[in-house]
Amino acid sequence: MMAEDRRPPLSTVFAEFSRGRFDSQAPLSIIGGGEPGGKARGLAGVRAALEACLSRGRFPQIAVDIPALAVLGTAVFDEFLADNALEETAAQDLADERMASAFQRCDLPFSILGDLRALVNEVRSPLAVRSSSLLEDARVSPFAGVYSTKMIPNAAYDADARFRELTQAIKFVYASTFSRLAKDYRAATGHAEGEEKMAVIIQELVGQRYPGRFYPELSGVARSINHYPTGPAHPADGVVSLALGLGKTIVDGGRCWTYSPAAPQVSPPFGSVEGLLKESQIEFWAVNMGEPPAYDPTRETEYLVRENLASAERDGSLRYLASTYNRLSGRLSIGLPFAGPRALTFAPLLALGEPPLNDLVVDVLKCCEAELDGPVEIEFAMTFDPHHFRLLQVRPMPGGRGQTPIDPQEMDGVRTLVAGGTALGNGVLEGLTDIVYTVPETFNLQNTVDMATELERLNRRLVESGRPYLLIVLGRLGTTDPWLGIPIRWAGISGARVVVEVAQDNARVELSQGSHFFHNVMSLGVKYFNLPFTGSRTIDWNWLGAQPAVEETRHFRHVRLSRPLVAKVDGLTSQGVVLKPAESPA
Amino acid sequence: MTTKTYGFFEETQHQFDRVAERLGLDQAARDLLRHPMREFHFSVPVRMDDGTVRVFRGSRVQHNDARGPGRGGIRFHPMEAADNIRALAMLMTWKCAVADLPLGGSMGGLACDPHDLTASELERVCRGWVRQTAKVIGPDWDIPGPDLMTNPQQMLWMLDEYESLRGARSPGFITGKPVGLGGSQGRKEAGGYGVMITVREALKDLGIEPRDTWASVQGFGNVAQHAIELYLKMGGRVLSVACWDPVDRVSYTYRKREGIDLEALRSITNPLGEIDQPKAVEMGYERLPGEAWLSQDVQILLPAALERQITLQNVGQISEQVRIVPEAADAPTTPEAEAALVERRVTVIPDLLANAGGSVCSYFEQVQGSMNYYWRRDEVLGKLDVHMTDAYMAVRQVAREQELTLRDAAYAIAVSRVAQACQERGWI
Repeated sequence: MMAEDRRPPLSTVFAEFSRGRFDSQAPLSIIGGGEPGGKARGLAGVRAALEACLSRGRFPQIAVDIPALAVLGTAVFDEFLADNALEETAAQDLADERMASAFQRCDLPFSILGDLRALVNEVRSPLAVRSSSLLEDARVSPFAGVYSTKMIPNAAYDADARFRELTQAIKFVYASTFSRLAKDYRAATGHAEGEEKMAVIIQELVGQRYPGRFYPELSGVARSINHYPTGPAHPADGVVSLALGLGKTIVDGGRCWTYSPAAPQVSPPFGSVEGLLKESQIEFWAVNMGEPPAYDPTRETEYLVRENLASAERDGSLRYLASTYNRLSGRLSIGLPFAGPRALTFAPLLALGEPPLNDLVVDVLKCCEAELDGPVEIEFAMTFDPHHFRLLQVRPMPGGRGQTPIDPQEMDGVRTLVAGGTALGNGVLEGLTDIVYTVPETFNLQNTVDMATELERLNRRLVESGRPYLLIVLGRLGTTDPWLGIPIRWAGISGARVVVEVAQDNARVELSQGSHFFHNVMSLGVKYFNLPFTGSRTIDWNWLGAQPAVEETRHFRHVRLSRPLVAKVDGLTSQGVVLKPAESPA
Repeated sequence: MTTKTYGFFEETQHQFDRVAERLGLDQAARDLLRHPMREFHFSVPVRMDDGTVRVFRGSRVQHNDARGPGRGGIRFHPMEAADNIRALAMLMTWKCAVADLPLGGSMGGLACDPHDLTASELERVCRGWVRQTAKVIGPDWDIPGPDLMTNPQQMLWMLDEYESLRGARSPGFITGKPVGLGGSQGRKEAGGYGVMITVREALKDLGIEPRDTWASVQGFGNVAQHAIELYLKMGGRVLSVACWDPVDRVSYTYRKREGIDLEALRSITNPLGEIDQPKAVEMGYERLPGEAWLSQDVQILLPAALERQITLQNVGQISEQVRIVPEAADAPTTPEAEAALVERRVTVIPDLLANAGGSVCSYFEQVQGSMNYYWRRDEVLGKLDVHMTDAYMAVRQVAREQELTLRDAAYAIAVSRVAQACQERGWI
């Protein structure tokens, strides 16, 4: 994000909300006073630049803009807490559902009700209600994915029902400011409780209406820097992740199509067509526009449904996204030329350039980089026929690919605890004496949901006692797919300073670079190790098992050493090692 | 109750005449709308606690109900005059019309001073009033509500009496009930907030930020208190508040140079909006003569008590700094005084627009009561905001297009809506 002194005054980028004007051509507007928060400022900052960058007519067939949005300023949040005497409740250690319920029982400030009411009177299409907190504005510790977003259909005939949906969604986002995970995250990143204030973005949801559902054909996350360059790709080429449906798939670490914008025709390394069919995206998120869901304003996915490729094909939304598998030849053909299993390869876009999505994404990245003066990550969504590319979020990427030389002997020596694979981050970390790890003998992918709960509890205890730790797990962290690994959000392991993921059998554990999880790993300077199933890797399970345990749960072991570990990562070579304490018995 | 008038009803009729002339209404329409359609005057004998019987005179005036059931308050006041009730009923017709509510206008009253009655006597008075009017009011015909010196408890007694007479629950019969017993959330705030919504929009038109303004208020009842509450949240400050003193039987103005403390004043105010004089002085408020509220150097003068408080005799005392006079009370400004204010380019937000918030919320209460399904507070207030803002915008648009004052524009909209309804019903 631009240095504070370079940021334009609020009044020049945000207009006071005007009833009757909520469209992408209208100025970004703010309701109530206070700050608009990080996400909103990010979008406001690039809006004009985007128009200028793309006005040269390079993409005449694609409309590019930022969806209409209005922001509830942080003063509304303050007033909400004060009017409802919520400060005490917010400070309590309540379960998230209880916190959310307490917030739902409260009333929003009168000052915004008329504007909200006018908004739902005017707008009858789905809305995204997103967090835009002050701390999401930081270049360091940017809180990606810590707070909630709620998508609402906003399509009920009765304006009262639409108003209720919107106010409930706003309160849901407010409550997420005080979720256990958010509090842990703030503690782990050195922020005092009173520092955080929440603004809320109410944004037109990008997509098209299909029978019973609403979603964009395409969602994407693009980053200026690729931390996992494979083959001939370079880090500076960047990386793009694409998915069918809502971008929740990508930011939650689900299956998506990740490629280098320097070589869009090159597929991710699935290994084989069968591997591609098996491991590419087959499900997607959409907003439920059909049967009213079970009433639960405290659930983020209250209005969402999970659909599959067959539904998308019925909707006719695969035209630009899919290839078709030919059983006879064992090959994939671009598009939908004949009946057969579909695979989301995005080949029409990436191989044929119809339309030239990749070129557009590269241009948008460059434009945002220039505006924010550094590498960036953007989220976008796109609909087709007519082609409409819409920028949803932009945030700075933390930098850091410096060099930390590692002695090759340390990679395979007596003191080596973890080595091999790929490591992210850079530098030397000393001082960790706590280790939490999954016991390989008892690890079972059937129990990953329980593991997430246990790990959150262990993390909380360690964060509360101010003890950062080394975390070693089998499978992937941060995935929403429990069969790939432990479905835990970043804030649930916020105290970990070194994270080691060890591949289990043939499960791919490559971290989704578009996910909030990945973003927080990089932003917080966590040393991250990815040890593949095959290839050179070292992890001394026996030594871990010999260490005295502080606690042994059903799935984890927490040990504490008398002397600290040393973790080193070389940002240039992506090599890393975790060394046992000096003079430690083998 | 007396029939002698100080001219309030005449003034209201003259106001209508001017509008009718501008609109070119035919004579039949003028004759119909110039007078109430129905009036009921009755006696209410009440046995007092000491065993004696007092007879109170009451009335219910139904001005016009072409647009829907009549709606109007019940006021208890020792000097209540029939012409006042007629005028207020007519104003209610216009008020409901300008707010685009599907309601007509009514008003009722009883000549009594609640201060002189015990609680049980007051209850018998309320029930007696309903017994006399039950045949001519009701949820489908004429819906009463609270007004001067009547409150939710009295509304509840009246509802109870009505339901006993009818043999059925009728939550839509009367408005102003307590929340939880058929009252609407947001009811208490609606009148005052409605005033401030119009002030908010007027300030936007003038390009003035609320935080750059001060206000002086006459009255400290429910409407005034909530108007002040919202005004303070908007960033404004209140310099002085004037109210009746029941001990000295005179009005005082309480001023604090740094701005009043609403919660502190509320803590020393009785349910009738009367501030405890000695305690206010103890709190550091200057005690000034009752009319002093009018002459303060503020940008907003808020009359929120009785009619005819700003007259030709005292309009000269109003500070040059005053920019807006929102009429939170009914008819607090005489036509001559208003002309003087308009000459000075003061925006007078007419009563039928400014204090329509209470009527809007009463309508919401009636709707909820009829469904027996009650909305959340934010739903009620969100709708109120949009309703009042739309009403203000509509009046402002007509005022600008036709170069009228806000009052004339509001009347033009209201009268034409009612006249059209009468015509479409085949009455004229």
